[in-house]
Amino acid sequence: MSMFRRISNLFHRSRVDREIDAELSAHIAMRMDDNLAAGMTPGEARRDALVRFGNPTATKERAVAADAALTLDNIGRDVRFALRQLRKSPGFTSVALLTLALGIGATTALFSVVDAVMLKPLPFPTAGRLVQVESVLVGSRRGGAASYLDFLDWRARNHVLDGMAAYRTGDYTLIGPHEPEHLQGAAVSAQLFSVLGVTPALGRSFLAEEDNPAAAGGTDAAILSYGLWQRDFASDRTVLGRVLQLGDQRFTVVGVMPPRFQFPIQAEPIELWTTLAVDAKGGADAMTAQRGAHYLDVVALLKPGVTVQQAQAELADIASALNKEHPENHPRTMRVEPELQVLTGDLRTPMFVLLGGVGCVLLIVCANLANLLLARATGRRREMAVRIALGASRGRVLCQLLAESLVLGLLGGALGLGLAVLSFGLLVRLMPADIPRLDSIGLDLRLVAFSFLVSLAASVLFGLAPALQASKVSLTESLKKSGRGAGGADKGRLRSVLVVSEVALSVILLLGAVLLLRSFVHVAQVNPGFNPDHVLTFELDSPAGAGSAQFPVFFRQAVARIGSVPGVLSASAAASLPLTGDHMRLSLESEDQPMALGSRPLANFNVVEPGFFRTLGTAFESGRDFTAGDTFASTPVVVVNRALARTFFPNQNPIGKHVRPGIGNGYGKDGPPMREIVGVVEDVKQRGPAVEAAPEVYAPLAQCPFDTMFVVARTASDPASIVKAARQQIAALDKDLPIYHVKTFDQYFADAVAGPRFNSFLMAVFAALAVLLACLGVYGVVAYAVLQRTHEIGIRMALGASGGNVVRSVLHRGAVLALIGVGIGLAASFPLAHLVASMLFGVRANDPVTFAATAFALLSIALLASYIPARRAARVNPMVALRSE
Amino acid sequence: MAKNDLQGTLDLLVLKTLSQTKSLHGYGIVLHIQRASDELLRVEEGSLYPALHRMEQSGWIASEWALTETGRKAKYYKLTATGKKKLLEAEEDFEHLVKGVRAILHYA
Repeated sequence: MSMFRRISNLFHRSRVDREIDAELSAHIAMRMDDNLAAGMTPGEARRDALVRFGNPTATKERAVAADAALTLDNIGRDVRFALRQLRKSPGFTSVALLTLALGIGATTALFSVVDAVMLKPLPFPTAGRLVQVESVLVGSRRGGAASYLDFLDWRARNHVLDGMAAYRTGDYTLIGPHEPEHLQGAAVSAQLFSVLGVTPALGRSFLAEEDNPAAAGGTDAAILSYGLWQRDFASDRTVLGRVLQLGDQRFTVVGVMPPRFQFPIQAEPIELWTTLAVDAKGGADAMTAQRGAHYLDVVALLKPGVTVQQAQAELADIASALNKEHPENHPRTMRVEPELQVLTGDLRTPMFVLLGGVGCVLLIVCANLANLLLARATGRRREMAVRIALGASRGRVLCQLLAESLVLGLLGGALGLGLAVLSFGLLVRLMPADIPRLDSIGLDLRLVAFSFLVSLAASVLFGLAPALQASKVSLTESLKKSGRGAGGADKGRLRSVLVVSEVALSVILLLGAVLLLRSFVHVAQVNPGFNPDHVLTFELDSPAGAGSAQFPVFFRQAVARIGSVPGVLSASAAASLPLTGDHMRLSLESEDQPMALGSRPLANFNVVEPGFFRTLGTAFESGRDFTAGDTFASTPVVVVNRALARTFFPNQNPIGKHVRPGIGNGYGKDGPPMREIVGVVEDVKQRGPAVEAAPEVYAPLAQCPFDTMFVVARTASDPASIVKAARQQIAALDKDLPIYHVKTFDQYFADAVAGPRFNSFLMAVFAALAVLLACLGVYGVVAYAVLQRTHEIGIRMALGASGGNVVRSVLHRGAVLALIGVGIGLAASFPLAHLVASMLFGVRANDPVTFAATAFALLSIALLASYIPARRAARVNPMVALRSE
Repeated sequence: MAKNDLQGTLDLLVLKTLSQTKSLHGYGIVLHIQRASDELLRVEEGSLYPALHRMEQSGWIASEWALTETGRKAKYYKLTATGKKKLLEAEEDFEHLVKGVRAILHYA
């Protein structure tokens, strides 16, 4: 009841006011009546009544305060008052709003990225229980992919999972009434959709029996993405049951997934799902029939109540049992991780480092604003004193000052949110394209709530200390005319503390930025072992129905046609390309060290056409390239990289030696042949400029047929200019073959360094903001000190101090503040630096040069910022200064 | 441990006053306390009204507007059931306080 009355009082403030007025004046009137009765004159009676009563305004305020939870109502008043105050000082307001908007905007924008990529749950009903199951080589963090037979055993033997599905992505060519179209698809276990808890929008999911190859004459099942259904089939519901020609295989459409469904979650959308039956053709040679073919990713659904650790423990037991049963394979163990964590694994560190960085910027913004408010409070000391003298309690003054901060903070937050939304486009463009779920960035409730909370926290952070200071006024001191006096020294100390923390935070940020920038420069300067300029690449499948004997012939023709396009300097082809993230790893045996199958070391393996190294700009160290003379009938040959030569044949000439990559392609029952090394090339950085090259073997396509190749062409001018001609040439060879993943090598290279570039760019922006704000802070404090000391400086100069002396004494203050700040910042950076260590390349986290340079830079900038007020101090006219009181 | 302070004492005086009269306005309370204490206690008038309003919001006392004997409109307060309980508590607290203070004063 009482609560209700208080709240209802809020809406009747004027009524409550009137009532209290009436009550209090009745009291005074009754006292006057008694005084008159006691014989006082009316004047005396009135004076006595008022004196006894004390300050009626203050009493009324306090009575009202008891009546309403009136704080709420007061907030309304305070907000209106605050708005008026802020309007009155547009300079202060705009500077404050601008820095706040920048700070909160940057924080919100970065949070939106982190939220979209790492925090939002995956868009599946079962998201909380989804785990990725990985098969890892014992004694290595590498690996991850599973073989189909292993997968079947895991699924059959475990008791911790409610379902398990294997999948891989794949390229399909849709041949229909239109031009042949390349589709990014995925071959998946029939169980996948039930594991994810998703059902098709149209039609049905795969049936369990569809995991096996269709009976002769039948077709495999396929499910379309909503987008593909809309685009290529005009949302026609009769698409169910229709037979699609995909390359040389036929599929029956059984379903259409709901809009926006995506799995696997990756940057390039999946448009089509088939079952793993596509890999089961060819009997014993089929991918699904080889326990050594680790090519599948596995997602699984934990049983309710089962933890990741429990699942991990049981699957590891199954893996060691499998190791014993199949000693011919490399021993493997299992890794079970929450699906979301796997998806964001490498991103965690950079994201949290950047979030920390932007947090520092926000703290600096708050420190700066606190400083501004302190300076403002000095100017408003008399205003506060007058309010208190007129009966406002200290609490009321405090509330009113905090309301000003709150209004500033929330306005700044709203502007910041706007800035953040505007920056989404830029952020997404800057970010590495392979970051999943970036498209889910957008303005939503979570973001609004986040920026609101951040604004609130910031308001208290920058508003509380100045408000406490300002409300602690000494009436007599402040009401005197002098602008200086009580609290000055105290305030000066608080301001110095704020500036020192600003400088310290800037040191941390600047250090982080310099480390990341240096690292990025190192990455960009690494010799990747090839020249990415002016190279066009695209993928090309072999014609439908072609046998492995025809692959080399077809690709030789295709390369010859591309080579004949005007402007093409040289052309070639390879099964995998550096930086595309698509590599084969095979076991390798050298003739010097025969080894059992399960214990052979692994090496990268690639299949190329003659001229590949020349086209890419990869130099030969010794030996020769493949030629047209290397055929299926001639001696099996390979080219190896320097890393392989060094590892397998230390201090020997590798040319003429023999190695056996574990790939048979067409060499019959005897298994993979020994191949003679005919050339050594420099190391090509396959997995990105910052990753050391692994041993690698190249075999000629003619001796190792592959059905899908990257075609590469080095051009004299812009590689994009030959795309049309290349398309025509391939269409002339086979009208049903599209070229796809058309990209210049520069683009692959840019993508490969996009991560470091993004990180260092953002950190540099944050550091620049931080240093700028810290400079403003130093400038503000020193300038304020000069203002306070004008009188003193005047006396000193009148007594003969030179301008130089004055400059030195003022600079001294700035220098001390900066030194303390830099010292604290450096000390704090040592433990923090190891956080970025995993993001660095070619520079150590505690690099002394970087530390020294950062410290020096900040000190110089801080001194520069103090020099401006110092100059002004030196030009003080003693007479003016002395009269200025 | 007795919880007591100056504000608690003012509450106690007001509650006690209201328990001895049927209902009384603020000015009357001031006069009553002054008289009843033989002019020893004088209530700070500026503190009385905030205290009255606070106690009213807490539901210890209720108020209504009525006319005084001299025909002035004034706000009359009276004790509620909750207020009577509060008064008992406050009296007990005060006894504790007095006992405690006295013990200290007499400590030899």
